[in-house]
Amino acid sequence: MDTPLREPTFWILTALAGRPLHGYGIISEVASLSEGRLSMRPGTLYGALDRLMDAGFIEVDGEEVVDGRLRRYYRLSRSGSATLAAETERLRHNVEVATTRLGTLTPATRPITPRAVGGLA
Amino acid sequence: MRDLERRYRHLLRAYPAGYRQARGAEIVGTYLDLAAPERRWPSILDVADVLAGGVRERLRAAGAADLIPGVRLAAVLSYTTATALAGFWATAEVVTTSRGWGAPAFGPFATTGIVVWAGWLLAAVVHVLAPARCRRIAIGLALVLTATVVPVAAVLDLPRPFLFVLLPQATLGLLALAVPSHTPQRHRFIPLAATPATSLVAVGVLSGESTWFYRFSYGGAFLPETGAVLLVTAMLAAAVLSLRGDARGIWALLVLLTPVGLLGLYPLTENIAPVVGASYADFRVITATAAAVFMLGAIPLAAAIAIRARASATATPAAAPSHARCPTCGK
Repeated sequence: MDTPLREPTFWILTALAGRPLHGYGIISEVASLSEGRLSMRPGTLYGALDRLMDAGFIEVDGEEVVDGRLRRYYRLSRSGSATLAAETERLRHNVEVATTRLGTLTPATRPITPRAVGGLA
Repeated sequence: MRDLERRYRHLLRAYPAGYRQARGAEIVGTYLDLAAPERRWPSILDVADVLAGGVRERLRAAGAADLIPGVRLAAVLSYTTATALAGFWATAEVVTTSRGWGAPAFGPFATTGIVVWAGWLLAAVVHVLAPARCRRIAIGLALVLTATVVPVAAVLDLPRPFLFVLLPQATLGLLALAVPSHTPQRHRFIPLAATPATSLVAVGVLSGESTWFYRFSYGGAFLPETGAVLLVTAMLAAAVLSLRGDARGIWALLVLLTPVGLLGLYPLTENIAPVVGASYADFRVITATAAAVFMLGAIPLAAAIAIRARASATATPAAAPSHARCPTCGK
């Protein structure tokens, strides 16, 4: 699978890093972790899960029937954990480089922070 | 079984039978988990999601999963072309003159086409500035304007662009709906960036010309020329990407054959009309020719998918798609 990971793939792996989850659980967790920016539908989710299973990044953990509905749980594999860790490290490095560069900005080029309307001074 | 569950199961026929058997219950369960308790029918977005998922899985099963990124590439080229054309025609609507025998007019504009082209240009602005969901809605609205201008102009007896202009625009627009959601803003600016150039061309060649410009003057030749540019661009993209072992460009080229063919509808119908005994390229000639272009354009794409499916079926068993494996143990 290509790296860097696409954003939906990154969030699915991150969601499964906590504990095994079923389809609805993954959709809810991804929406929560991405603060609502990423809203997945089942058709998209199961396509992504197929690709992640093919790549060996996730595995089936088990299944149960709740209210007559089949729930299959997925967990992160060892290879998936390693890929997520590598991607997280890559993103961390990018953030550190950008933060350092922003810190070296001169006052003239530093973005102006807007002041609250009606504030004192 | 509840009505909603039965309807989701019915929709799931979009997926291949083997995949449905292995994962159907799980997917339906997830849709039901997400649905409000009082809901009895799947939402439009769910219907589109199931159908898109089914198409994706069928392509995966046929070993042609890379068709989808190819369609996205075709969508970008298609959207850029549609916006560039809108810039050309919108300018032509303004700079041409209705002075002259029998020339049509729609207020200060040549035809009601100005509403259609304004819709496409607005969609291009929305594409740059708005979130992904609004972008598709804007393209959808431009498509609705393109389709409804025909009956509205007929009912109100107003001039409108000819079908050989509207049909390729609608086809390019339909394809543009597949434009990728998550792209940087500078990439999303590309379709809009093409409009100043085409507007200048319109000013240069159509200023002061008759408002019959859609058929005559340079307007009649602009669509086939645009089609040729689109075809050459797609061929170059296919060649460059193929050298990197990426089949996206070839799929994009195959997908774009139909819009390219429709961009040549004007000369095609002008030549076909006398052959079929029509005195000019009327509604029947144009729609029949467009239908033939659709069918001919679909043949190479269908053949490529069939070849991929055959190659995939004769490949090593290790390359079998995931739906052929046990979804529980993955073997």
